[in-house]
Formats: sequence, structure tokens, C-alpha cells
Amino acid sequence: MKLYDAIIVGGGHNGLVNAGYLARAGKKVLVLERRPLVGGAAVTEEIFPGFKFSVFSYVVSLLRPEIIRDLELPRHGLQILPLESTVVPLDNGDYLGSWADPDLTRRELARHSARDAEAATLFGRLMHHMAMAVKPILGMLPPDPASLAPSDLKGMLKFAGHFRSLGAEKFHALHKLMTMSSADYLDEWFEFDPLKATKSASGIIGTFLGPRSPGTAYVLLHHYMGEIDGAFRAWGFQKGGTGAISETIARAARALGAEIRTDATVEKVIVKGGRAAGVALASGEEIGATVVVSCLDPRRTFTQLVDPKEMPLDVIEAISRFKFRGSSGKVNLALSELPDFTCLPGYGPHLRGAVSISPSLDYLERAYDDAKYGDFSKNPYMDIVIPSMIDPGMAPPGKHVMSCFVQYAPYNQIGGWTDANREAFGDAVVNTLSRYAPNIKRAIIGRQVLVPSDIERITGLTEGNIFAGELALHQLFFFRPVPGWANYRTPVKGYWQCGAGTHPGGGIMGASGRLAALEILKDVGQ
Amino acid sequence: MSATPDAVIIGGGVNSLVAAACLAKAGQKVLLLERSPAVGGQCRLAEFAPGFRADPLGQDAGWLPPAVARELGLAGVTRVVPDPTVVVPSGEGEWLPLPRNAARAAEQIRRYSTRDAAAWPAFTTLLARFAGLLESLYVLPAPDIDTTSLGELFPLLGVARKLRGLGRKDMIEFLRTVPMSVQEFLDDRFEFGPLKAAVGAVGVTNIRQGPRSGGTAFVLLHQLVGAEGGAIRGRGYWEAGPDALAKAVAMVAERHGVIVRTGAEVARITVKDDSVAGVVLESGEEIAAATVLSGADPARTLLRMVDPVWLDPEFLLAVRNIRFRGNAARVLYALDGLPDFPGLTGTPGALAGTLTLSSSLDDIERSADDAKYGRASERPHVELQLPSVRWPGMAPQGKHVLMAQATSAPYRLRAGAWTAALRDALGNRVTAAIAKVAPGFPDLVRHCEVLTPVEIEERYGLTEGAPSQGEMTLDQILFMRPVAGASRHATPVSGLYLCGAGTHPGSGISGGPGWLAARRVLRDRRERRGATV
Repeated sequence: MKLYDAIIVGGGHNGLVNAGYLARAGKKVLVLERRPLVGGAAVTEEIFPGFKFSVFSYVVSLLRPEIIRDLELPRHGLQILPLESTVVPLDNGDYLGSWADPDLTRRELARHSARDAEAATLFGRLMHHMAMAVKPILGMLPPDPASLAPSDLKGMLKFAGHFRSLGAEKFHALHKLMTMSSADYLDEWFEFDPLKATKSASGIIGTFLGPRSPGTAYVLLHHYMGEIDGAFRAWGFQKGGTGAISETIARAARALGAEIRTDATVEKVIVKGGRAAGVALASGEEIGATVVVSCLDPRRTFTQLVDPKEMPLDVIEAISRFKFRGSSGKVNLALSELPDFTCLPGYGPHLRGAVSISPSLDYLERAYDDAKYGDFSKNPYMDIVIPSMIDPGMAPPGKHVMSCFVQYAPYNQIGGWTDANREAFGDAVVNTLSRYAPNIKRAIIGRQVLVPSDIERITGLTEGNIFAGELALHQLFFFRPVPGWANYRTPVKGYWQCGAGTHPGGGIMGASGRLAALEILKDVGQ
Repeated sequence: MSATPDAVIIGGGVNSLVAAACLAKAGQKVLLLERSPAVGGQCRLAEFAPGFRADPLGQDAGWLPPAVARELGLAGVTRVVPDPTVVVPSGEGEWLPLPRNAARAAEQIRRYSTRDAAAWPAFTTLLARFAGLLESLYVLPAPDIDTTSLGELFPLLGVARKLRGLGRKDMIEFLRTVPMSVQEFLDDRFEFGPLKAAVGAVGVTNIRQGPRSGGTAFVLLHQLVGAEGGAIRGRGYWEAGPDALAKAVAMVAERHGVIVRTGAEVARITVKDDSVAGVVLESGEEIAAATVLSGADPARTLLRMVDPVWLDPEFLLAVRNIRFRGNAARVLYALDGLPDFPGLTGTPGALAGTLTLSSSLDDIERSADDAKYGRASERPHVELQLPSVRWPGMAPQGKHVLMAQATSAPYRLRAGAWTAALRDALGNRVTAAIAKVAPGFPDLVRHCEVLTPVEIEERYGLTEGAPSQGEMTLDQILFMRPVAGASRHATPVSGLYLCGAGTHPGSGISGGPGWLAARRVLRDRRERRGATV
């Protein structure tokens, strides 16, 4: 049995980041990926000949700058192209735009509401402060809140101390943000409904909650936390799609000495005497390692990769209560021509940015109403981008690829996700789209519809939750995924976790992979 | 009144009475002003038909913190916990009763699910422990991030000890539960729909949310503070009548010299140089006082009684942003006899408790959907109480009073104002819902009165008809109640304090806000005296 210092199960971007950091510290590292390509939910695939799609995750904003620096990602091909604008088509034929130029954005908003244009500046400043207040927590090791161990007490004090250092005013503002619904929170600031709807949409992504449910406001922050070259609030595309980010990290890891094997399905983690000893592949091959790191989601990590009898009962029980509830789908379209939006006819800069189908708060809430009773949204929320506009290599000349992130599509669809239901969902998306861009049906030459069960089947993400577990208040920080085991360890010695189901989780951030690596190195010695 | 009072108290609800009694007991000269003809506030009785009385806003006795009972000598005010506490239709004409005792409740649940029956006793124990933790938080001034004085930190250690005392597993479970939806909380543990609906309905008390909304698990825990052994709706009612506590506190207050004036509505609170100067009544009468406590809700007090020039715009904005959202109508029925609920004949005592009519969480959620879009629900979630069964004097001999609470009847309708036609239609829908479980009910109705949140606002002076004086949601409790940075009963106007349910520890904690407010006033007074010496 060949022996590695560390085997990483799953080649998602967190696993690759983890491998990169371990390799950088001189460890002998092997990444095992089930699929023929690395990336997990951050992959680029040619779904139709000549048309390349960021199949699942499609934008990047949260990739930690220290990772970019430490793994020298720009040298290995990281190239983020800015995604500068968002346009929301309105039901009255008008639109609401937000552009790269803040002045232009303010004038545009003032066209709809002078009051909101004024408030937006203050709001942006507050969100910036809040994002700055939360940022240090993203890099903190979650302590065990119930432990009296000195390291945990120190961690809790550090956590509490951080909040105290904010001062009462910012702390109260943060408390509101953490506990309110995005609709109520935005109601306190703005009056123009499509603006509130569009902002609140970022609060519902990946959750099974509507914009009027408490607990959705803080995800608004995510939008302000993106860092590209140190600039807050920017979102972008990787040249070549999100898969190219994964490949970039993989290249960086390889350059640091990590081995990466694809088409290698890990069947089980081998545990000997309560300690991880290696992994057994589906092929029957066994590979030994001192440390095994799972980049899979918590349910797979705790209850499927290892024999459940190796885990304490209360941990198994807690994992069974960890909420996944996948709620979003993805429709990838190959287009023969660009969509022609009624609100902004023809070619224009709006096609280089995002188009958000979020005409009103009620629209989003109704989309949620469908889903909470078990059906996909008949009029769904959508976040649409046309990557080929910015990166022409994604589609054949003159043709385009369009990515529609769609919510809601419940994992437990009434009647199951049969082909008929999947197509009906795809039709709902295209029909909704055609109300705003009537030429879309004519333009479609290929359509890929992905619902939560597809996301689960292809990427392995339980219930198709794109964040490897809902980003709800009771599933964050020291709750993620299980209190007491939020520090990347598991009850099995030498068996670690580094996926998005751990703190801080979600988005192409890489933070979980990095923090896990730092902890592993602390434990096994540099 | 011969001399200027030390303190004027606005409103005659339980919290105002408690504040008045505590201040008077400490030697203050206190004048209490109540706009209606009698004190009692929300538990005041209303005669809605000749000989028929009800306490329309009554839900239960709430939790009277033992410290308040001790301070004011209220041990003689006793409560009755009905048995069963609540019943819910469980399908095919049957009802599931939840007896007070967990083991007996489990027996009832076993008819439908052995799994749920097995989980029930441990569940109520857990609820009781969680509620106990809230109790320890509710007898202290709301702790805040900038709490630094040892005097405030020390009692908090008691809360921290209690939190640790829950044990590792329960402590984590508590922290995890608070932000959850009550539906997730219940789905994790139970399978029988009517059981979940009976418990989950408590999680949407006085808020405009459905059981799938975040934070509703907290509302459930809050409503269980003071409940016997974690029994759902186990807080019971006051034995001597809905207004028994208010009457007892009023007697204590008057014994300590509080002067109570009814029919005295305060129009304005006068301010001079950032300090309170007194109040002006609707009649034009001016009363000077260096200390004013208002038991009215924060919006009514600060936006309607105080001239805005004395308040900072940001503070005013925060007060304007308090969510009240009265969302429940009350339908009062004067009945010619006791209604017959065929499914309940074998359950003696059921009619003294609460009858909750929604059998699934989805039904409650759907009714909340209507309110969300500003519509009075076509199928509101309805809960029934029969005051005349609890207190025979509430109706003439042989007659009865039934009180229905219909949730998802929002204060603000998107289509326009509440009209008499809309009110009647709502009443008819509630009557129909009751007739489903008591077929002869409509024939017994001699008189029916519908109070929407609009009438509740008018009659009780509660903004948006919200008995909570501000929804008990996670962003509006503890140090956020009534607004961030003003949670300790003082306001930016020196000498003006808030003492109603709109302040910490909030609605359902009988006398808690009033007691903490009085202590704050006395502490400020001591400090001022210390400073001048």
C-alpha cells in the first residue's frame, strides 16, 4: 500500500486549495476525484459541440485573496473578467440598471426614486462596514461553544471580543442583519420595489426561504464581500469558465508537488483502531495515508464515507438534522443569437452583465410559495449571464452561451424529478424569459436543464444544495456542520473535512479548504 | 391632587400598574392616568352583548415573574391550568387532546404515532429547560454588547451558568433552535401532522409569519416561559377572572398611595430642555412631573405624544421601523347554550382549554401566505376559548361566550381599508370554521362581534392593533427592544421612560417590563441624588 501524508477525497475547489496548502508545506498529497475532471461544482464542460458552460457555479467573487497570493494563482492562469452591471427588466417595459460607474447607477436609480438614490449611498457604506466587520470571522477557526477547553474558551473570547470591538452601533446593525428578513431589512431603506426585490434575491440564493422570512437578510452581505484585487463588491467571470479556476488551483497544487487523480471513486475511508489509515477505491485499490481529508458534504463525510459505527451517535443524529434542502436549478442555453430584451432592445452593455428576473418582492415570494408546497416556481427568480459576451472562447463565433441560475426548484418535487417535470421546469424558465426577451425561443439551439436531483447525481452534493448545506443562521460558524466538530476535525482521528459544509462555506471562496489545511498542519506538524 | 406627583404613569395595563406599585412602594408619589373608564389594559373585560362579557385580547395568564409577585405580594393570585391544555382536530371527527402531564399526553399521542409518543416527554422537558433559560434572561435588564459595569455583568454570570447547566447537548440545541423555523424544529422530531400543528401554532403567536419562517421556534419558546413542565399552552388562566392580576396589582398600588385616574387620556408629553416636564390631558389639563413612564407602546408614546423636535432623526426612524403588524382578529360570540363539539364529548375539561382548529402546519402556512400579500385570509387559522366555561359569571345563567382568534387578518389590507362588509365576511368565515367541528354552532349564536386589528387599535390604543406592542421577533427582543441602544426603558428624553410590553422582556411577561422600568427609574434617581450630594 502506497503511503501518502494526506489523501483528499474529492477534487472540488476546496479540496484543491487544501491540497495546495498541504503540498506547499512539503506534504506528500494525493487528490482523488470521482469524475474525469476536477472542480466539483466549479467545472466547465462542453455540453453542446463548441458551447462551453460553467455548468453549476458560474460567477466568482469570494475567492480569498490570501489563497490567490499563497498559491500564486495568477501565475497559473487566474484571470477574472469583471461582471460590471445588473439589469432588471420591469413588468412595465422599463428596466432598473446598476452599472460599473457609480454616478451612472445613482442617476439610473434616481430615475425611479430620488429617495432611494440618496439612501443607496448610505446603504452601500453600511454594508461595506458590515462586510468589513464580518470578514475577520471568515478567517477564524470556529471554537466549540460548549467546551471549557482553554483553546475553545480563547476562541469564544476572541469571537466575543471581535463583536465588542465593533462598538454598540455596528453590533446592533449587524444583529439586525443577522436576524431580519431581507424584505423587512430593505423596507427600512428603500421604497422602489424592484430594487428591494433584486437586492433581496441575493438573500435567498441556496436557501429554502422566501425574502420575507427572517434569516435571509445577512446573505445580502455576501454580495458586498466579494474581493477582486482588494476591491469590495465586484463579481466576475474566470476566463474559460469556473472550471478554469479549478484547473488553475489544480495546476498550482501540482506545481507544489500534489498528485491529482481523476476517475478515481473513493468507496470508503479505511479506519484502523479508530484512526484513518487510507482509502479504498471502487476499483478495489487501497491507498494508505496518515491523514484523510473529505471535501464532500457533511452527510457524505460523516455517514457515507466512513462506517457510521465509527461516529458517535449524537454526531450522526446532528448530521441527520443538518439541512440541505436544495432549492435551485440551472438552465444552460446554447444560443444562435443574443437575447433581445424588450426593455433594452438590441445590442448593449447590459448583455455583458447580469440580468436579474426579480421584478418585485411579491414575485420572489410567490416563487417561494410554489416551492414550499413542493412544486417548482412557475415564475422563477433568475440570475442570467452571457459569459460568451466577455469571454468569446466559450461559444462558436457569432453564437452565445447563456447561464440561468433559477430558484426555486425543490429537491423533493411533487411527483419526483421525472423527465417530464424537468422539461416542464425548463419550459417555465424559457417562458418566463421570453416575456422579457421574446426572441429567446427562436435563439435556443441547445438546452440543459439541471434540477437539484441532477446536481446531486453529478456533483454528489446532497439534495443538490449548492452550498453543501443551507447557509442558515443555525448552520453557520460553530454550528457548521456540527457543534464540536466545526474545527475541520471529525471524531475519527486523522480524518478531516474541508468542504463548503464547514465554516465559512459556500461560493467559490476556498476558505474552508485553506483553514482546514492550516489546522491539519498544526496537528501533524509542519 | 394637592402636590406635584414624583411620577406620572400613562396607561392602566398590568405593566403600568406594576410600575406604579413598585415606585409607590419605594416612597414615590405616583399618579396613574388611564384613558378608559377602568384599569386593566389588555385584560379589561368588555360587555359585548347584554350580560355577555369577554376579555377579547386574552390569550393566557402569561408569566408573572416570581420576583414581581414577591415584591408586590401577589401570591394570592392563583392560576388554573386547564387539562387538557389544548385540543386539535386529528381527522375523521376525532380530536387529539394534550393533557398537562407529559406522560398522559404521550398516551393520547400514541393513538396516532408510537414514535411521536415516545419522543413527547423528553420534548416537553427540553422545552421547559429552554423556557427556564429565557426566564433567567427576562428578570434582568437586557444585556448589551457594551455592558461593562460589574453590577450588570454579575447577574449575567447567573444566566451563563444556567446556559452551561443545560449541559453540552441542550445548550447547543438551544442556540441552534432560536433562529430556526418552528416547522423545522418539529419536523426533526415528530411525524403526526395535527400534533405538529397544535404545537406549531404557538410559534406564530402575535407575528405575521407562517411556521416556515425563521425565528418562529423562538416564539414557541417565548410562549412557554412560565408554562408548567413545558406543557404547550400550559400557562393557564387566572382563577378569579381574566383581570384578576390587574385588579390585585391595582389594589396593591392604591394601598401604597398610587392615585389612579380613569377617563384621563394623555394627549401630549411636555418636554423642556431635553427633559420631561409633565403631561397634558385631552381635556387640556396640565400635570407637571419630572418623571413620566408610559405603558403605551413605543410608537404611540414617542411618535404621537412627544414633539419630534426633541428626538434625534435616527432614533425616530428606528421607532418608525418597529414592526407591530397586528395580524389577528377576534370574534366574540354570545351563545344561547354550550356548543356541542361531537368529537370532544369523551374529553372532559377540553372546553376550558384552547381549541386550535388547524390540523396541519401547511394550513397555517397557507393562511399566513394571505396575510403576507395583505389579504385577510380566506381560511384563517382559528383558535377558540370559552371564557364562560372558565368563569361562569361571564355569561347569563345557561348561556355562553365563545371567543375566536382568527390569525392572518392583517391590520393593513392592500386592497384598501377594512370595511363593515369585510369584517362581516371574516366573521362568517370563522363561524363556518367553527360549524365544521360543532355543527349546531350557528344556531346558538345570538350576537357576534368582530374586532379586526383596526378596532383593537382604536379600543386599546395599540399601534396597528398589535397586543405584542411590537412583534417578538429576534431582531426586536432583548437589547433590540424597543429599538437598539434604548432597551433599558429610558428614552432620549431625560425623565421619560417606557414601561409597556414594547420594552424588554416583552409581551406575555406579566409585569416584567413594568417592574424592570420601575427599578431603572429608582436607580437613576439614586444616581442623580448621589451626584448632587
